[in-house]
Amino acid sequence: MYRPVVLWLLLCGSVAAHDMTPTYPKWKMSFIPSARMTTMQVFNKRADVQWYQIGVFDKDWNQLPFVTRYKILRVKYLSRVKFDVYISSEYSDEAEYICSTSKLRGNDDFKPIVESKICSRFK
Amino acid sequence: MNKLITLFLIVGLTGCSLLMPKKAEAVTNINGNVESRCTVNTDTTGYYGNPNAYTLTTLPASAGQVPIVRVDTSLANAYKAQISYPTSFSSSPSLGDTVVWTGAVAVAQASSTDMSGYQAASTTADGGAMRIYELVHAGATWFSVSSVATYGGGQQKAFPGGSYSAVVTAECIAQ
Repeated sequence: MYRPVVLWLLLCGSVAAHDMTPTYPKWKMSFIPSARMTTMQVFNKRADVQWYQIGVFDKDWNQLPFVTRYKILRVKYLSRVKFDVYISSEYSDEAEYICSTSKLRGNDDFKPIVESKICSRFK
Repeated sequence: MNKLITLFLIVGLTGCSLLMPKKAEAVTNINGNVESRCTVNTDTTGYYGNPNAYTLTTLPASAGQVPIVRVDTSLANAYKAQISYPTSFSSSPSLGDTVVWTGAVAVAQASSTDMSGYQAASTTADGGAMRIYELVHAGATWFSVSSVATYGGGQQKAFPGGSYSAVVTAECIAQ
C-alpha cells in the first residue's frame, strides 16, 4: 500500500542537478612545456546520471583537441570530481568553452530524459 | 626581604600569565568563497502519453507529463540558458515513415518578478526547437518543455509497438 506512495515521493521530491565550476577558468603553465592546463570541477546531484563527457570548443563550437585523464568521467551521485584539462599551447588561445555533458542511459518506457550541459568560458 | 618576596610575586605572576591560555587569540576563521555558478536541475521528469495510435505527447490531458527543468544562477549576466525540445527519438523501434516533431519551451516559474521578461526576450535557434534565454538576473528559473511526435508525415499512421525515448537538452553557457 505504501510502496507506490514512497516511490511517488522519491520521484517527485528528488532534485537532480549538475554543475561545473569555475565559470571563467584560466589556462596555466603545465609541467609539459608545450601544453597549458586548467583544473575544473563537476558536481553530480543527478541520481539518474553517473557519466559526464568533457569537451573543449572554439568560439564557433568546433571541437578542439585536448587531453584529460578520462574524456567521459564517472561522477557518482552527490560527489564532486576535480579534473585537469591539458591543451597544446597552439590551441589555448582558440579555446573558448569547456563543457561537461551528461551521458544518458537508455530507458525502456515513454520518458523523455533531460540531457544537461554546462559550459564554462575562457575570457 | 619584602622586596625579594615582591620580586618573586611579580616574576611568578608574569610567568603564570604567559602560561594561561589566551582566549582573545583563539580565533577560528570561517572561510567562504562566492563564485558564479550555474546548476541545471531536473525538477519534473516528463513522459509521453499515447492518446491515439499515431501521437506521442507530453500534454497532461493526454496522460503525458511535461518535463520541468530548473536553471539556477548565482550571478547576474554570467550565463545564458539554451533549452531544446526533442527532434528525434534517442531510442525507438525501427521506423519506416516520417515523424513530425513539434514542441514548446516556456518559462513556467521564476524566483523573482524581475525575470518576468525572460520569455519575451528569448530567441530561437535550430529551426525553433531551441530557445535561448539570457539570464540577466541571479536566481532560479523553471522551464517547461512540451513535446509532440506524430507519425506518418501527416498520414496518421500508427506508431509501431515498442518503447520510445527522446531527450530534452538543457544547456547553461557562460557568457
